[in-house]
Amino acid sequence: MQAKSSYRDRTDEFFGIVETLRRSIAPAAAANINVAYGGGRREDPRSAAVMQSEFNRRASVIGLAIHQTSQKLSKLAQLAKRSSVFDDPTREIGELTAVIKQEISGLNTALLDLQAVRNSHNDERNISRDTTTHSATVVDDLKNRLMDTTKEFKDVLTLRTENMKIHENRRQRFTNNPSKESTNPFVRQRPLASKPAPSQPAPLPWANGSSSSSSQLVPRRQGEAESSPLLQQSQQQQMVPLQDTYMESRAEALHNVESTIHELSNIFTQLATMVSQQGEIAIRIDQNMEDTLANVEGAQSQLARYLNSISSNRWLMIKIFFVLIAFLMVFLFFVA
Amino acid sequence: MKITALLVLKAAPETTDPVILSNASDVSHFGYFQRSSVKEFVVFVGRTVASRTPPSQRQSVQHEEYKVHAYNRNGLCAVGFMDDHYPVRSAFSLLNQVIDEYQKSFGETWRSAKEDSSQPWPYLADALTKFQDPAEADKLLKIQRELDETKIILHKTIDSVLARGEKLDSLVEKSSDLSMASQMFYKQAKKTNSCCTIL
Repeated sequence: MQAKSSYRDRTDEFFGIVETLRRSIAPAAAANINVAYGGGRREDPRSAAVMQSEFNRRASVIGLAIHQTSQKLSKLAQLAKRSSVFDDPTREIGELTAVIKQEISGLNTALLDLQAVRNSHNDERNISRDTTTHSATVVDDLKNRLMDTTKEFKDVLTLRTENMKIHENRRQRFTNNPSKESTNPFVRQRPLASKPAPSQPAPLPWANGSSSSSSQLVPRRQGEAESSPLLQQSQQQQMVPLQDTYMESRAEALHNVESTIHELSNIFTQLATMVSQQGEIAIRIDQNMEDTLANVEGAQSQLARYLNSISSNRWLMIKIFFVLIAFLMVFLFFVA
Repeated sequence: MKITALLVLKAAPETTDPVILSNASDVSHFGYFQRSSVKEFVVFVGRTVASRTPPSQRQSVQHEEYKVHAYNRNGLCAVGFMDDHYPVRSAFSLLNQVIDEYQKSFGETWRSAKEDSSQPWPYLADALTKFQDPAEADKLLKIQRELDETKIILHKTIDSVLARGEKLDSLVEKSSDLSMASQMFYKQAKKTNSCCTIL
Protein backbone atom coordinates (compact mmCIF):
# COMPACT_ATOMS: atom_id res chain seq x y z
CA MET A 1 0.00 0.00 0.00
CA GLN A 2 1.22 3.44 -0.64
CA ALA A 3 0.44 4.49 2.88
CA LYS A 4 2.67 1.75 4.15
CA SER A 5 5.67 2.96 2.19
CA SER A 6 5.15 6.48 3.47
CA TYR A 7 5.00 5.08 6.98
CA ARG A 8 8.28 3.36 6.54
CA ASP A 9 9.99 6.43 5.21
CA ARG A 10 8.65 8.51 7.98
CA THR A 11 9.89 6.05 10.56
CA ASP A 12 13.49 6.35 9.52
CA GLU A 13 13.38 10.10 9.45
CA PHE A 14 11.75 10.25 12.79
CA PHE A 15 14.30 7.97 14.33
CA GLY A 16 17.07 10.28 13.14
CA ILE A 17 15.30 13.42 14.25
CA VAL A 18 14.40 11.91 17.58
CA GLU A 19 18.02 10.97 18.22
CA THR A 20 19.38 14.39 17.37
CA LEU A 21 16.78 16.31 19.22
CA ARG A 22 16.83 14.10 22.23
CA ARG A 23 20.48 14.86 22.64
CA SER A 24 20.09 18.57 22.29
CA ILE A 25 16.61 19.66 23.35
CA ALA A 26 14.48 19.41 26.52
CA PRO A 27 12.29 16.34 27.02
CA ALA A 28 9.09 18.30 26.44
CA ALA A 29 10.21 19.21 22.92
CA ALA A 30 11.51 15.70 22.39
CA ALA A 31 8.11 14.37 23.26
CA ASN A 32 6.72 16.62 20.54
CA ILE A 33 8.80 14.88 17.92
CA ASN A 34 7.56 11.47 18.88
CA VAL A 35 4.76 11.63 16.41
CA ALA A 36 2.39 8.76 16.60
CA TYR A 37 2.08 7.55 12.99
CA GLY A 38 1.11 3.93 12.44
CA GLY A 39 3.96 1.54 12.79
CA GLY A 40 6.58 4.22 13.35
CA ARG A 41 5.97 5.16 16.91
CA ARG A 42 8.61 5.04 19.59
CA GLU A 43 8.04 5.13 23.29
CA ASP A 44 9.93 7.82 25.15
CA PRO A 45 10.44 6.48 28.67
CA ARG A 46 12.89 9.19 29.60
CA SER A 47 10.33 11.94 29.05
CA ALA A 48 8.85 13.42 32.16
CA ALA A 49 5.61 14.01 30.30
CA VAL A 50 4.12 10.61 30.95
CA MET A 51 0.70 11.86 30.05
CA GLN A 52 2.05 13.10 26.75
CA SER A 53 3.53 9.69 25.97
CA GLU A 54 0.27 8.11 26.97
CA PHE A 55 -1.44 10.37 24.47
CA ASN A 56 1.13 9.38 21.91
CA ARG A 57 0.61 5.72 22.62
CA ARG A 58 -3.10 5.94 22.21
CA ALA A 59 -2.73 8.00 19.05
CA SER A 60 -0.35 5.41 17.67
CA VAL A 61 -2.76 2.62 18.48
CA ILE A 62 -5.52 4.46 16.70
CA GLY A 63 -3.34 5.12 13.71
CA LEU A 64 -2.42 1.46 13.49
CA ALA A 65 -6.04 0.46 13.72
CA ILE A 66 -6.94 2.92 10.96
CA HIS A 67 -4.23 1.46 8.80
CA GLN A 68 -5.50 -2.05 9.35
CA THR A 69 -9.03 -0.96 8.61
CA SER A 70 -7.96 0.63 5.37
CA GLN A 71 -6.21 -2.60 4.41
CA LYS A 72 -9.38 -4.58 5.05
CA LEU A 73 -11.26 -1.99 3.08
CA SER A 74 -8.97 -2.45 0.12
CA LYS A 75 -9.61 -6.17 0.28
CA LEU A 76 -13.33 -5.49 0.36
CA ALA A 77 -12.98 -3.17 -2.62
CA GLN A 78 -11.29 -5.92 -4.60
CA LEU A 79 -13.98 -8.37 -3.63
CA ALA A 80 -16.66 -5.92 -4.68
CA LYS A 81 -14.99 -5.31 -8.01
CA ARG A 82 -15.38 -8.92 -9.01
CA SER A 83 -17.89 -9.00 -11.71
CA SER A 84 -18.43 -12.69 -12.03
CA VAL A 85 -22.04 -13.71 -12.06
CA PHE A 86 -21.38 -16.84 -10.10
CA ASP A 87 -19.04 -17.52 -7.27
CA ASP A 88 -20.15 -14.34 -5.56
CA PRO A 89 -18.41 -13.90 -2.25
CA THR A 90 -21.56 -12.37 -0.85
CA ARG A 91 -21.10 -13.95 2.51
CA GLU A 92 -17.49 -12.89 2.79
CA ILE A 93 -18.33 -9.40 1.60
CA GLY A 94 -21.07 -9.20 4.23
CA GLU A 95 -18.76 -10.39 6.96
CA LEU A 96 -16.01 -8.04 5.91
CA THR A 97 -18.46 -5.15 5.73
CA ALA A 98 -19.69 -5.84 9.24
CA VAL A 99 -16.15 -6.12 10.56
CA ILE A 100 -15.10 -2.89 8.91
CA LYS A 101 -18.17 -1.09 10.23
CA GLN A 102 -17.40 -2.24 13.74
CA GLU A 103 -13.82 -1.17 13.47
CA ILE A 104 -14.75 2.22 12.11
CA SER A 105 -17.22 2.87 14.92
CA GLY A 106 -14.67 1.66 17.48
CA LEU A 107 -12.09 3.95 15.97
CA ASN A 108 -14.54 6.82 16.14
CA THR A 109 -15.09 6.34 19.88
CA ALA A 110 -11.38 5.86 20.50
CA LEU A 111 -10.62 9.06 18.66
CA LEU A 112 -13.22 10.92 20.70
CA ASP A 113 -11.64 9.52 23.86
CA LEU A 114 -8.27 10.66 22.65
CA GLN A 115 -9.60 14.12 22.08
CA ALA A 116 -11.13 14.21 25.53
CA VAL A 117 -7.86 13.04 27.04
CA ARG A 118 -6.01 15.74 25.19
CA ASN A 119 -8.42 18.39 26.38
CA SER A 120 -8.09 17.17 29.96
CA HIS A 121 -4.30 17.26 29.56
CA ASN A 122 -4.47 20.80 28.32
CA ASP A 123 -6.59 21.80 31.26
CA GLU A 124 -4.56 20.00 33.92
CA ARG A 125 -0.95 20.76 33.15
CA ASN A 126 1.06 23.65 32.04
CA ILE A 127 2.45 22.55 28.74
CA SER A 128 4.14 24.39 25.94
CA ARG A 129 2.40 25.75 22.89
CA ASP A 130 4.24 23.28 20.71
CA THR A 131 2.78 20.34 22.56
CA THR A 132 -0.72 21.72 22.23
CA THR A 133 -0.41 22.35 18.54
CA HIS A 134 1.27 19.00 18.07
CA SER A 135 -1.45 17.05 19.81
CA ALA A 136 -4.11 19.05 17.99
CA THR A 137 -2.41 18.27 14.69
CA VAL A 138 -2.17 14.57 15.54
CA VAL A 139 -5.82 14.36 16.46
CA ASP A 140 -6.85 16.21 13.33
CA ASP A 141 -4.72 13.98 11.19
CA LEU A 142 -6.23 10.85 12.67
CA LYS A 143 -9.70 12.25 12.21
CA ASN A 144 -8.96 13.04 8.57
CA ARG A 145 -7.68 9.56 7.96
CA LEU A 146 -10.69 8.03 9.55
CA MET A 147 -12.91 10.21 7.36
CA ASP A 148 -11.06 9.09 4.27
CA THR A 149 -11.46 5.50 5.27
CA THR A 150 -15.17 5.98 5.85
CA LYS A 151 -15.54 7.64 2.45
CA GLU A 152 -13.73 4.79 0.78
CA PHE A 153 -15.97 2.37 2.59
CA LYS A 154 -19.01 4.17 1.24
CA ASP A 155 -17.58 4.13 -2.29
CA VAL A 156 -16.95 0.44 -2.05
CA LEU A 157 -20.49 -0.18 -0.89
CA THR A 158 -21.94 1.80 -3.78
CA LEU A 159 -19.72 -0.08 -6.20
CA ARG A 160 -20.91 -3.30 -4.68
CA THR A 161 -24.58 -2.36 -5.14
CA GLU A 162 -23.93 -1.40 -8.75
CA ASN A 163 -22.27 -4.71 -9.41
CA MET A 164 -25.16 -6.55 -7.80
CA LYS A 165 -27.54 -4.68 -10.09
CA ILE A 166 -25.49 -5.62 -13.12
CA HIS A 167 -25.44 -9.24 -12.02
CA GLU A 168 -29.19 -9.24 -11.54
CA ASN A 169 -29.68 -7.79 -15.00
CA ARG A 170 -27.43 -10.35 -16.54
CA ARG A 171 -29.09 -13.16 -14.66
CA GLN A 172 -32.50 -12.06 -15.84
CA ARG A 173 -31.24 -11.77 -19.37
CA PHE A 174 -30.05 -15.34 -19.32
CA THR A 175 -33.08 -16.87 -17.68
CA ASN A 176 -35.52 -15.14 -20.04
CA ASN A 177 -35.24 -15.77 -23.74
CA PRO A 178 -32.50 -13.34 -24.61
CA SER A 179 -32.78 -10.99 -27.56
CA LYS A 180 -29.85 -10.71 -29.87
CA GLU A 181 -27.13 -8.74 -28.13
CA SER A 182 -24.11 -9.87 -29.97
CA THR A 183 -22.22 -6.65 -29.54
CA ASN A 184 -22.37 -6.73 -25.80
CA PRO A 185 -19.79 -9.39 -25.05
CA PHE A 186 -17.28 -7.62 -27.25
CA VAL A 187 -17.95 -4.26 -25.68
CA ARG A 188 -17.68 -5.69 -22.21
CA GLN A 189 -14.61 -7.67 -22.95
CA ARG A 190 -12.27 -4.84 -23.82
CA PRO A 191 -12.20 -2.97 -20.51
CA LEU A 192 -11.90 -6.21 -18.59
CA ALA A 193 -9.38 -7.76 -20.91
CA SER A 194 -6.91 -4.98 -20.32
CA LYS A 195 -5.97 -6.27 -16.89
CA PRO A 196 -2.82 -8.23 -17.42
CA ALA A 197 -2.72 -9.88 -14.01
CA PRO A 198 -2.75 -13.66 -13.77
CA SER A 199 -6.20 -15.05 -13.30
CA GLN A 200 -8.20 -17.96 -12.03
CA PRO A 201 -11.01 -19.51 -14.07
CA ALA A 202 -14.29 -19.64 -12.25
CA PRO A 203 -16.45 -22.78 -12.49
CA LEU A 204 -19.41 -22.11 -14.74
CA PRO A 205 -21.73 -25.09 -14.77
CA TRP A 206 -24.13 -23.68 -17.32
CA ALA A 207 -21.43 -23.05 -19.87
CA ASN A 208 -20.08 -26.52 -19.41
CA GLY A 209 -22.43 -28.69 -21.34
CA SER A 210 -23.34 -26.21 -24.01
CA SER A 211 -19.91 -25.33 -25.28
CA SER A 212 -18.88 -26.95 -28.50
CA SER A 213 -15.35 -27.56 -27.28
CA SER A 214 -16.41 -29.48 -24.24
CA SER A 215 -13.27 -31.58 -24.31
CA GLN A 216 -11.21 -28.51 -23.54
CA LEU A 217 -13.48 -27.52 -20.71
CA VAL A 218 -13.00 -30.81 -18.92
CA PRO A 219 -9.23 -30.53 -18.41
CA ARG A 220 -9.68 -26.87 -17.56
CA ARG A 221 -12.18 -27.64 -14.84
CA GLN A 222 -9.87 -30.27 -13.44
CA GLY A 223 -7.05 -27.74 -13.53
CA GLU A 224 -9.15 -25.27 -11.64
CA ALA A 225 -10.15 -27.76 -9.01
CA GLU A 226 -6.53 -28.56 -8.35
CA SER A 227 -5.13 -25.08 -8.37
CA SER A 228 -8.01 -23.22 -6.74
CA PRO A 229 -7.12 -24.15 -3.15
CA LEU A 230 -3.58 -23.08 -3.84
CA LEU A 231 -4.13 -19.60 -5.25
CA GLN A 232 -4.94 -16.80 -2.88
CA GLN A 233 -8.11 -14.81 -3.10
CA SER A 234 -6.44 -11.60 -4.17
CA GLN A 235 -5.11 -13.22 -7.31
CA GLN A 236 -8.44 -14.63 -8.24
CA GLN A 237 -10.34 -11.44 -8.69
CA GLN A 238 -8.77 -10.11 -11.80
CA MET A 239 -8.52 -13.39 -13.67
CA VAL A 240 -12.08 -14.36 -12.92
CA PRO A 241 -13.56 -11.48 -14.93
CA LEU A 242 -11.50 -12.44 -17.95
CA GLN A 243 -12.25 -16.13 -17.79
CA ASP A 244 -15.83 -15.33 -17.03
CA THR A 245 -15.95 -12.96 -19.93
CA TYR A 246 -14.71 -15.65 -22.28
CA MET A 247 -17.12 -18.25 -21.01
CA GLU A 248 -19.93 -15.75 -20.83
CA SER A 249 -19.29 -14.64 -24.35
CA ARG A 250 -19.39 -18.23 -25.53
CA ALA A 251 -22.55 -18.87 -23.60
CA GLU A 252 -24.12 -15.70 -24.86
CA ALA A 253 -23.23 -16.56 -28.43
CA LEU A 254 -24.85 -19.94 -27.99
CA HIS A 255 -27.94 -18.30 -26.54
CA ASN A 256 -28.03 -16.00 -29.53
CA VAL A 257 -27.78 -18.93 -31.86
CA GLU A 258 -30.55 -20.70 -30.01
CA SER A 259 -32.84 -17.69 -30.11
CA THR A 260 -32.10 -17.17 -33.79
CA ILE A 261 -33.08 -20.75 -34.44
CA HIS A 262 -36.27 -20.19 -32.47
CA GLU A 263 -37.09 -17.19 -34.58
CA LEU A 264 -36.38 -19.15 -37.70
CA SER A 265 -38.75 -21.86 -36.57
CA ASN A 266 -41.41 -19.22 -35.95
CA ILE A 267 -40.88 -17.84 -39.39
CA PHE A 268 -41.18 -21.29 -40.92
CA THR A 269 -44.39 -21.98 -39.03
CA GLN A 270 -45.89 -18.72 -40.20
CA LEU A 271 -44.80 -19.51 -43.71
CA ALA A 272 -46.50 -22.90 -43.53
CA THR A 273 -49.71 -21.35 -42.18
CA MET A 274 -49.79 -18.76 -44.90
CA VAL A 275 -49.15 -21.29 -47.61
CA SER A 276 -51.89 -23.59 -46.35
CA GLN A 277 -54.36 -20.71 -46.23
CA GLN A 278 -53.45 -19.77 -49.73
CA GLY A 279 -53.90 -23.39 -50.72
CA GLU A 280 -57.51 -23.16 -49.60
CA ILE A 281 -57.94 -20.03 -51.64
CA ALA A 282 -56.51 -21.81 -54.63
CA ILE A 283 -58.99 -24.65 -54.19
CA ARG A 284 -61.83 -22.15 -54.11
CA ILE A 285 -60.59 -20.57 -57.27
CA ASP A 286 -60.48 -23.98 -58.83
CA GLN A 287 -64.07 -24.66 -57.87
CA ASN A 288 -65.18 -21.34 -59.17
CA MET A 289 -63.59 -22.06 -62.49
CA GLU A 290 -65.23 -25.44 -62.68
CA ASP A 291 -68.60 -23.89 -61.94
CA THR A 292 -68.01 -21.35 -64.62
CA LEU A 293 -67.06 -24.06 -67.05
CA ALA A 294 -70.22 -26.03 -66.28
CA ASN A 295 -72.37 -22.94 -66.61
CA VAL A 296 -70.87 -21.97 -69.87
CA GLU A 297 -71.20 -25.48 -71.24
CA GLY A 298 -74.85 -25.60 -70.20
CA ALA A 299 -75.50 -22.24 -71.71
CA GLN A 300 -73.79 -23.35 -74.87
CA SER A 301 -75.96 -26.46 -75.12
CA GLN A 302 -79.06 -24.38 -74.53
CA LEU A 303 -78.08 -22.07 -77.25
CA ALA A 304 -77.31 -24.95 -79.54
CA ARG A 305 -80.73 -26.37 -78.86
CA TYR A 306 -82.23 -23.02 -79.41
CA LEU A 307 -80.43 -22.77 -82.66
CA ASN A 308 -81.59 -26.19 -83.61
CA SER A 309 -85.09 -25.39 -82.61
CA ILE A 310 -84.97 -22.14 -84.46
CA SER A 311 -83.68 -23.82 -87.57
CA SER A 312 -86.03 -26.78 -87.24
CA ASN A 313 -88.91 -24.70 -86.06
CA ARG A 314 -89.55 -23.18 -89.46
CA TRP A 315 -91.45 -26.22 -90.42
CA LEU A 316 -93.64 -25.68 -87.43
CA MET A 317 -93.96 -22.05 -88.31
CA ILE A 318 -94.99 -22.91 -91.88
CA LYS A 319 -97.47 -25.36 -90.46
CA ILE A 320 -98.83 -22.76 -88.11
CA PHE A 321 -98.96 -20.22 -90.90
CA PHE A 322 -100.84 -22.72 -92.98
CA VAL A 323 -103.24 -23.27 -90.13
CA LEU A 324 -103.67 -19.53 -89.81
CA ILE A 325 -104.26 -19.12 -93.50
CA ALA A 326 -106.76 -21.89 -93.27
CA PHE A 327 -108.58 -20.07 -90.55
CA LEU A 328 -108.43 -16.88 -92.55
CA MET A 329 -109.90 -18.73 -95.52
CA VAL A 330 -112.68 -20.04 -93.35
CA PHE A 331 -113.30 -16.57 -92.03
CA LEU A 332 -113.28 -15.16 -95.50
CA PHE A 333 -115.67 -17.86 -96.61
CA PHE A 334 -117.99 -17.04 -93.76
CA VAL A 335 -117.89 -13.33 -94.46
CA ALA A 336 -118.01 -13.60 -98.21
CA MET B 1 -9.48 -7.54 -38.40
CA LYS B 2 -6.20 -9.28 -38.73
CA ILE B 3 -3.84 -11.60 -37.01
CA THR B 4 -0.27 -10.42 -36.96
CA ALA B 5 1.43 -13.45 -35.47
CA LEU B 6 0.84 -16.85 -33.97
CA LEU B 7 3.32 -18.47 -31.63
CA VAL B 8 3.49 -21.80 -29.93
CA LEU B 9 5.70 -21.89 -26.90
CA LYS B 10 6.61 -24.32 -24.23
CA ALA B 11 5.81 -22.50 -21.04
CA ALA B 12 8.51 -23.61 -18.69
CA PRO B 13 8.15 -23.15 -14.94
CA GLU B 14 8.24 -19.60 -13.76
CA THR B 15 11.96 -19.21 -13.47
CA THR B 16 13.06 -19.91 -17.00
CA ASP B 17 12.02 -18.28 -20.22
CA PRO B 18 9.51 -20.04 -22.42
CA VAL B 19 10.91 -21.88 -25.39
CA ILE B 20 9.51 -21.03 -28.77
CA LEU B 21 8.35 -24.13 -30.60
CA SER B 22 6.82 -22.55 -33.64
CA ASN B 23 6.35 -19.08 -34.98
CA ALA B 24 4.32 -17.68 -37.83
CA SER B 25 3.99 -13.97 -38.43
CA ASP B 26 2.50 -11.82 -41.10
CA VAL B 27 4.50 -8.63 -41.34
CA SER B 28 3.62 -7.81 -44.89
CA HIS B 29 1.90 -4.59 -43.96
CA PHE B 30 4.93 -3.14 -42.28
CA GLY B 31 7.67 -1.41 -44.15
CA TYR B 32 10.59 -3.53 -45.24
CA PHE B 33 12.95 -2.15 -42.66
CA GLN B 34 10.58 -2.59 -39.78
CA ARG B 35 9.92 -6.22 -40.41
CA SER B 36 12.78 -7.71 -38.45
CA SER B 37 12.17 -5.44 -35.48
CA VAL B 38 8.51 -6.33 -35.51
CA LYS B 39 9.44 -10.01 -35.51
CA GLU B 40 11.74 -9.45 -32.54
CA PHE B 41 9.02 -7.57 -30.77
CA VAL B 42 6.62 -10.42 -31.42
CA VAL B 43 9.08 -12.95 -30.05
CA PHE B 44 9.85 -10.95 -26.94
CA VAL B 45 6.31 -10.05 -26.04
CA GLY B 46 5.20 -13.59 -26.75
CA ARG B 47 7.78 -14.95 -24.36
CA THR B 48 6.82 -12.47 -21.67
CA VAL B 49 3.12 -13.11 -21.91
CA ALA B 50 3.59 -16.86 -22.03
CA SER B 51 5.78 -16.84 -18.97
CA ARG B 52 3.16 -14.86 -17.09
CA THR B 53 0.23 -17.05 -18.02
CA PRO B 54 -0.37 -19.72 -15.43
CA PRO B 55 -1.26 -23.16 -16.75
CA SER B 56 -4.82 -23.99 -17.77
CA GLN B 57 -5.68 -20.37 -18.13
CA ARG B 58 -6.38 -17.82 -20.76
CA GLN B 59 -5.22 -14.28 -20.79
CA SER B 60 -5.59 -11.20 -22.94
CA VAL B 61 -3.16 -8.33 -22.70
CA GLN B 62 -3.40 -5.02 -24.48
CA HIS B 63 -0.01 -4.03 -25.80
CA GLU B 64 0.18 -0.78 -27.78
CA GLU B 65 -2.19 -1.37 -30.62
CA TYR B 66 -2.26 -5.13 -30.41
CA LYS B 67 -4.20 -7.47 -28.26
CA VAL B 68 -2.12 -10.42 -27.24
CA HIS B 69 -4.14 -13.49 -26.37
CA ALA B 70 -2.47 -16.36 -24.62
CA TYR B 71 -3.75 -19.78 -23.73
CA ASN B 72 -1.67 -22.05 -21.62
CA ARG B 73 -2.59 -25.69 -21.40
CA ASN B 74 -0.41 -27.89 -19.23
CA GLY B 75 2.77 -26.21 -20.29
CA LEU B 76 2.03 -25.84 -23.98
CA CYS B 77 1.19 -22.25 -24.61
CA ALA B 78 -0.24 -20.63 -27.73
CA VAL B 79 0.01 -16.89 -28.16
CA GLY B 80 -1.71 -14.82 -30.79
CA PHE B 81 -1.21 -11.17 -31.72
CA MET B 82 -4.40 -9.67 -33.00
CA ASP B 83 -5.73 -6.20 -33.47
CA ASP B 84 -8.52 -4.77 -31.38
CA HIS B 85 -11.33 -5.70 -33.70
CA TYR B 86 -10.71 -9.40 -33.71
CA PRO B 87 -13.28 -10.95 -31.43
CA VAL B 88 -11.72 -12.41 -28.34
CA ARG B 89 -13.71 -15.60 -28.45
CA SER B 90 -12.61 -16.46 -31.95
CA ALA B 91 -9.06 -15.75 -30.90
CA PHE B 92 -9.22 -18.24 -28.09
CA SER B 93 -10.94 -20.89 -30.14
CA LEU B 94 -8.21 -20.43 -32.74
CA LEU B 95 -5.55 -20.89 -30.06
CA ASN B 96 -7.35 -24.03 -28.91
CA GLN B 97 -7.27 -25.44 -32.41
CA VAL B 98 -3.62 -24.60 -32.82
CA ILE B 99 -2.72 -26.38 -29.62
CA ASP B 100 -4.78 -29.44 -30.53
CA GLU B 101 -3.19 -29.60 -33.93
CA TYR B 102 0.27 -29.22 -32.48
CA GLN B 103 -0.30 -31.98 -30.01
CA LYS B 104 -1.67 -34.19 -32.74
CA SER B 105 1.24 -33.67 -35.05
CA PHE B 106 4.11 -33.48 -32.62
CA GLY B 107 2.89 -35.52 -29.73
CA GLU B 108 4.93 -35.00 -26.62
CA THR B 109 8.25 -34.26 -28.23
CA TRP B 110 7.93 -30.60 -27.42
CA ARG B 111 8.37 -31.22 -23.75
CA SER B 112 12.04 -31.93 -24.25
CA ALA B 113 12.72 -28.80 -26.28
CA LYS B 114 15.33 -26.66 -24.65
CA GLU B 115 15.92 -23.94 -27.20
CA ASP B 116 13.94 -22.08 -29.82
CA SER B 117 13.21 -24.28 -32.75
CA SER B 118 13.53 -22.54 -36.05
CA GLN B 119 11.86 -25.04 -38.33
CA PRO B 120 8.61 -23.68 -39.66
CA TRP B 121 5.42 -25.52 -39.16
CA PRO B 122 3.31 -25.13 -42.30
CA TYR B 123 0.05 -25.60 -40.46
CA LEU B 124 0.69 -22.46 -38.46
CA ALA B 125 1.37 -20.37 -41.55
CA ASP B 126 -1.78 -21.74 -43.20
CA ALA B 127 -3.75 -21.06 -40.06
CA LEU B 128 -2.48 -17.50 -40.02
CA THR B 129 -3.79 -16.82 -43.50
CA LYS B 130 -6.94 -18.85 -43.17
CA PHE B 131 -8.05 -17.36 -39.91
CA GLN B 132 -7.67 -13.72 -40.81
CA ASP B 133 -11.41 -13.89 -41.04
CA PRO B 134 -12.60 -14.61 -37.50
CA ALA B 135 -15.61 -16.51 -38.70
CA GLU B 136 -13.36 -19.30 -39.90
CA ALA B 137 -11.87 -19.87 -36.50
CA ASP B 138 -14.99 -19.58 -34.49
CA LYS B 139 -17.68 -21.98 -35.55
CA LEU B 140 -20.18 -20.09 -33.48
CA LEU B 141 -19.59 -16.96 -35.51
CA LYS B 142 -19.94 -18.90 -38.71
CA ILE B 143 -23.17 -20.48 -37.58
CA GLN B 144 -24.51 -17.14 -36.45
CA ARG B 145 -23.65 -15.58 -39.76
CA GLU B 146 -25.30 -18.34 -41.75
CA LEU B 147 -28.36 -18.20 -39.56
CA ASP B 148 -28.63 -14.49 -40.16
CA GLU B 149 -28.42 -14.98 -43.90
CA THR B 150 -31.06 -17.66 -43.70
CA LYS B 151 -33.27 -15.36 -41.72
CA ILE B 152 -32.95 -12.65 -44.35
CA ILE B 153 -33.80 -15.12 -47.08
CA LEU B 154 -36.80 -16.29 -45.10
CA HIS B 155 -38.00 -12.75 -44.64
CA LYS B 156 -37.85 -12.26 -48.39
CA THR B 157 -39.71 -15.53 -48.86
CA ILE B 158 -42.45 -14.43 -46.55
CA ASP B 159 -42.79 -11.17 -48.41
CA SER B 160 -43.17 -12.97 -51.70
CA VAL B 161 -45.65 -15.37 -50.16
CA LEU B 162 -47.70 -12.40 -49.00
CA ALA B 163 -47.67 -10.99 -52.53
CA ARG B 164 -48.77 -14.39 -53.80
CA GLY B 165 -51.60 -14.33 -51.32
CA GLU B 166 -52.77 -10.99 -52.62
CA LYS B 167 -52.69 -12.24 -56.20
CA LEU B 168 -54.63 -15.31 -55.21
CA ASP B 169 -57.22 -13.14 -53.55
CA SER B 170 -57.71 -11.10 -56.69
CA LEU B 171 -57.90 -14.33 -58.69
CA VAL B 172 -60.61 -15.62 -56.42
CA GLU B 173 -62.61 -12.47 -56.90
CA LYS B 174 -62.31 -12.66 -60.62
CA SER B 175 -63.19 -16.34 -60.77
CA SER B 176 -66.28 -15.85 -58.63
CA ASP B 177 -67.35 -12.99 -60.88
CA LEU B 178 -66.80 -15.24 -63.85
CA SER B 179 -68.93 -17.99 -62.39
CA MET B 180 -71.73 -15.52 -61.62
CA ALA B 181 -71.62 -14.19 -65.12
CA SER B 182 -71.65 -17.64 -66.65
CA GLN B 183 -74.59 -18.59 -64.48
CA MET B 184 -76.56 -15.57 -65.72
CA PHE B 185 -75.63 -16.49 -69.22
CA TYR B 186 -76.95 -20.01 -68.74
CA LYS B 187 -80.21 -18.81 -67.25
CA GLN B 188 -80.68 -16.38 -70.04
CA ALA B 189 -80.05 -19.01 -72.61
CA LYS B 190 -82.45 -21.37 -70.92
CA LYS B 191 -85.06 -18.63 -70.77
CA THR B 192 -84.87 -17.86 -74.43
CA ASN B 193 -84.98 -21.54 -75.20
CA SER B 194 -88.07 -22.22 -73.13
CA CYS B 195 -90.34 -19.61 -74.63
CA CYS B 196 -89.76 -20.40 -78.30
CA THR B 197 -92.94 -22.28 -78.58
CA ILE B 198 -94.94 -19.07 -78.84
CA LEU B 199 -93.46 -18.40 -82.17
